[in-house]
Amino acid sequence: MEATNQSKDVLVVGAGIAGIEASLLLAQAGRKVYLVEKSPSIGGNVIKFEEVFTNLECSTCMIAPKQQETLQAERIELLTLSQVVRVEGGLGDFKVTVKRNARWVDLEACIGCGACFDPCPVSLKNEFEEGLGERKAIYIPCAGALPNVPAIDREHCLRFTGEDKTCQACQEACVFEAIDFDQQDEELEIKVGAIVVATGYDLFDPRRSPQYGYGKVGGVYTAFEFERLFASNGPTGGEILLPNGNPPKSVAIIHCVGRKERGYCSAVCCMYALKFVHYLKSKLPTVEVAQLYTDFCIPGKSAQRFSEKVKGMGGDLIRAEVVEVAKENGNLRVKYNLPSGKAGSLEVDMVILAPAIEPRADAADLAKVFNIAQDDAGFFAEEHPEFSSVATPREGIFIVGCAQGPKNIQGSVAQSEAAVGRIISLLP
Amino acid sequence: MADKEYNPKIVGFLCNWCSYAGADLAGSSKLKMPPAISSIRVMCSSRVDPVLIVTAFLRGADGVLVAGCHPGDCHYEKGNYYARRRFALLRKVMETLDLEPERFRLSWISASEGPRFKEVVTEFTEHIKGLGPNPVKEKTSL
Amino acid sequence: MEEKIGVYVCECGPNIAEKVDIERVLAAVSSIEGVAVAERYKLLCSEEGKKFLKENIEKHGLTHLVVAACSPKQHELTFMNVCEEAGLNPYLFQLANIREQCAWIIEDKDEATEKAIRYVRAAISRVRYHIPLEKKEIEANPDVLVIGAGVAGIEASLLLASRARKVYLVERESSIGGKVKGFAQLFPRMESASALLEPKIKQVVENKNIELMTESEVEQLLGFFGNFVVTVRKKGGEERELNVGAVVVATGLQEFDVSGLPQYGYGKVDNVYTAGEFERMNSPDGPTQGKVLLKDGRAPRSVAIIHCVGRQEKGYCSRVCCLYSLKLAQYLKSKIPEVQVCQFYSDLCLPGKPYQRFYEETKGKGVDFIRAEKVEISEGEGGVAVNYSSESGRLEVRNFDMVILATAMEPAHGSAKLAEILNIGRGVEGFFIEEHEKLGPVSTSLEGIYIAGCAQGPKGISESIVQAEAAAGKILASLVPGRKLEPEVKVSEISEAFCIGCKTCISVCAYNAITFDELRRISVVNEVLCRGCGNCAAACPSGAARHRHFTFRQIYHELMETLR
Repeated sequence: MEATNQSKDVLVVGAGIAGIEASLLLAQAGRKVYLVEKSPSIGGNVIKFEEVFTNLECSTCMIAPKQQETLQAERIELLTLSQVVRVEGGLGDFKVTVKRNARWVDLEACIGCGACFDPCPVSLKNEFEEGLGERKAIYIPCAGALPNVPAIDREHCLRFTGEDKTCQACQEACVFEAIDFDQQDEELEIKVGAIVVATGYDLFDPRRSPQYGYGKVGGVYTAFEFERLFASNGPTGGEILLPNGNPPKSVAIIHCVGRKERGYCSAVCCMYALKFVHYLKSKLPTVEVAQLYTDFCIPGKSAQRFSEKVKGMGGDLIRAEVVEVAKENGNLRVKYNLPSGKAGSLEVDMVILAPAIEPRADAADLAKVFNIAQDDAGFFAEEHPEFSSVATPREGIFIVGCAQGPKNIQGSVAQSEAAVGRIISLLP
Repeated sequence: MADKEYNPKIVGFLCNWCSYAGADLAGSSKLKMPPAISSIRVMCSSRVDPVLIVTAFLRGADGVLVAGCHPGDCHYEKGNYYARRRFALLRKVMETLDLEPERFRLSWISASEGPRFKEVVTEFTEHIKGLGPNPVKEKTSL
Repeated sequence: MEEKIGVYVCECGPNIAEKVDIERVLAAVSSIEGVAVAERYKLLCSEEGKKFLKENIEKHGLTHLVVAACSPKQHELTFMNVCEEAGLNPYLFQLANIREQCAWIIEDKDEATEKAIRYVRAAISRVRYHIPLEKKEIEANPDVLVIGAGVAGIEASLLLASRARKVYLVERESSIGGKVKGFAQLFPRMESASALLEPKIKQVVENKNIELMTESEVEQLLGFFGNFVVTVRKKGGEERELNVGAVVVATGLQEFDVSGLPQYGYGKVDNVYTAGEFERMNSPDGPTQGKVLLKDGRAPRSVAIIHCVGRQEKGYCSRVCCLYSLKLAQYLKSKIPEVQVCQFYSDLCLPGKPYQRFYEETKGKGVDFIRAEKVEISEGEGGVAVNYSSESGRLEVRNFDMVILATAMEPAHGSAKLAEILNIGRGVEGFFIEEHEKLGPVSTSLEGIYIAGCAQGPKGISESIVQAEAAAGKILASLVPGRKLEPEVKVSEISEAFCIGCKTCISVCAYNAITFDELRRISVVNEVLCRGCGNCAAACPSGAARHRHFTFRQIYHELMETLR
């Protein structure tokens, strides 16, 4: 007999591909879903990518229909710019407090025309573009972002940081009266029966491994930066360009950046490094590409087929440990040690680093809020690594996607669907 | 009308999931392009019956564009491959009608390729302008 | 009934109003036959705008609605809901996208206006031929058939079974538990497999809502999602017909047969075992009661584990061989502490958070790792010789008492036949193909048939159980007891009168949604399975296949108007 006050509604935290998939499936099951997202838009890291392995399909084409469906689903209540701050109770009866930050743009009134961007006097590096592009203090992360409603960045908007705090340039430009500086941050109380934590991942910051020269010498990019350089809605319109405005003639892709420091293999870097070779060779057929790796890890039924296809496009594979990336004669010199102990080096004009997947910077805070454990690497700890990887020891709280551990999209989506299976089975 | 610049009639069949979304992105990015194209939304490029295209030419279209998801990306698994195969045949039919096969174009435009949509539309419009009016239309118009 | 088409142009604030001469648009369309009213409004998607539209539909008794505004991706659903509220069938509506495709992309206002006029005229021309569509409801059976009672099948069954949902668990062998039942311990925590598996087996046996059918195989599957009829045959004859709404295929894996690769000496050189054989030797309930022994009864002093056996032949990395090879080394080290264990590998593949540590632990127990290529096994002096090409390219030989071959995984035998019975696809590697590599990992192109575990691709226990739970999740979300299925309405239909029975439509359908009615000699669309791409409508030579809401007539009239 079920208790009458038991809730079957679900809170999903994080609106990346894992959170979206869980929300849509729960909504299909007839559950009310609260989807809480920290940033102003949904789609997570996947919307940064132009193409996704192994079939190199267009990432936007893949996820945009899901994003639209999420926005339109009656049973999904999306709370952007929001974070969970408190969780009380247990399975079937969680009381959750969500802090929703003011967007200062009315989600209903705004039609997404973008007339507010030009008048805004504040220009900033766009973090969505990994700093390679600019945005205003009122902004959407990229063209095509959903919901297509800007947010105001309180850290930089003159209304909040200016000397006289009177700037209203965006407000004046908006004929829909969608800019509302009276909006306040608020705390909402939500009652749900179960919680899915799908907060995703960050990339290891290569500055922590200074030998790669990242942040010190120009022409060294992280995987995310390179994704944006290749993205047709990115800062260069999809042209692969060096800081000097020219396309690279030779590129080194360095695998396993941060693996030693992090203590695990991130499971996807070899595959996306192969994808990068494909990106490079398809756009710049004469570019020389070398991959520096230690072990090629391409598990699963279709990965090798993909790998053969990419290898057929040319490029070198060098099994070596990179010791240094340094500026030399205006180019980059990548010095490495071969397994035999012999030293080698190559000269390139672009270096792409494949950094490890690591837990979100605020994972420890979240673990406290949800009262769930972290493992040694900082990912949320599952109930059992083999037999119950989406559940946590706290009944009713589930972890999916890269919040649980590094994995690819397929694995993340499967975990989301798995969490839904567990939830409906527990709270029929 | 004689003093006005020749304005071709171009029809674009856009698949709902990729190319129509790419066109939307071009729109929301305010990318400017020539006005000659009129787009018709279909769910999949495989919905575009070659008969519709021949009809379009017989009724005066100067150019027809079909745009779908990139090979391998079809929302319906492999609809775009069917489209590609059907249109290979269509080009032969056009030749027998004395229509330049280049008046027909099949392009792959993804949902993130707003700039590409603009490029395809601009380039195709220019190309059709260069070809001049559809010769079949001239023959059939009374 | 007289046609009364209402045309409403949205100003979208200045977005359309400043770039398109709306008065000219209205003037160009208001006198078209059938247009009862043509008006402008400042923002139709606003609450007031929707109210205005609803009132107008009611006031004028509109039979069709055309809105000229933004992209259908933005507000098609919004305006369809308005129609519904106003009592107008939502499919008697057409949205002309004059914002993204006119106002925002055309510099010159005259040109933008002319294009907008074309779009609105085309929409009017199209909407006349719209046909009201109604949602249908189809009864569905919530019960589920699970094929294969390994860890994946067991997990799926346990999640699915409830008072409202019966599960039939069909297993070809006489006992359940699959491959994992044969393992002593599991990586990475070296936990006892039976301690984890036995309670699950017990739950299956005791669950009144799970009917376990051992020594049974699926012979036939008819019907479709929500209403399958399955024939299951018990070894020895007895046949049963089951009615289920969905199927989970969890038929697992088998070891790659290494006897076809003579270079590994398997079957010819003594003391060469496959990983599966070694698991059995190590298992307390195995042939040696868990003692690791050589042919002559001695314990081995040195063991080589050869990775990637069959990888090249199969064309994929099996994902778990590196990890189970580490586990086998730990078995050996715990049973024979002084044994020398050496792993011959090409690339160590340890994806995921717990495995690097597992590798380091194993290495810390004194296990050697040699990167090697071109490994060949032969009779050696007083043992087995492992011949290999070392990292520096030199040919080397080392002798061992025992060699274990870490063989690739392949789909369980009978997969090809089962794929045919269930009408689902297999990839070039032989595993069942998922509907979408990333977004539909456990679905198949046939709705209602799900795949989980190694039947879908090589993987470990963790991912297999996740996929089983995922398949259960998909079923629990779509086959809710007491709820009917609501298929998509914009699907295809085939006219009985026009169908010539050529089956072209069947050959182009990616979803097995069209079947041939042998009695009437015509093709029939199953609306539950059809996803509405319209491919069959384009392929049909007789015009019998119609794509609802995208019929030839509708597109034709839209097209003709744009060419005027």
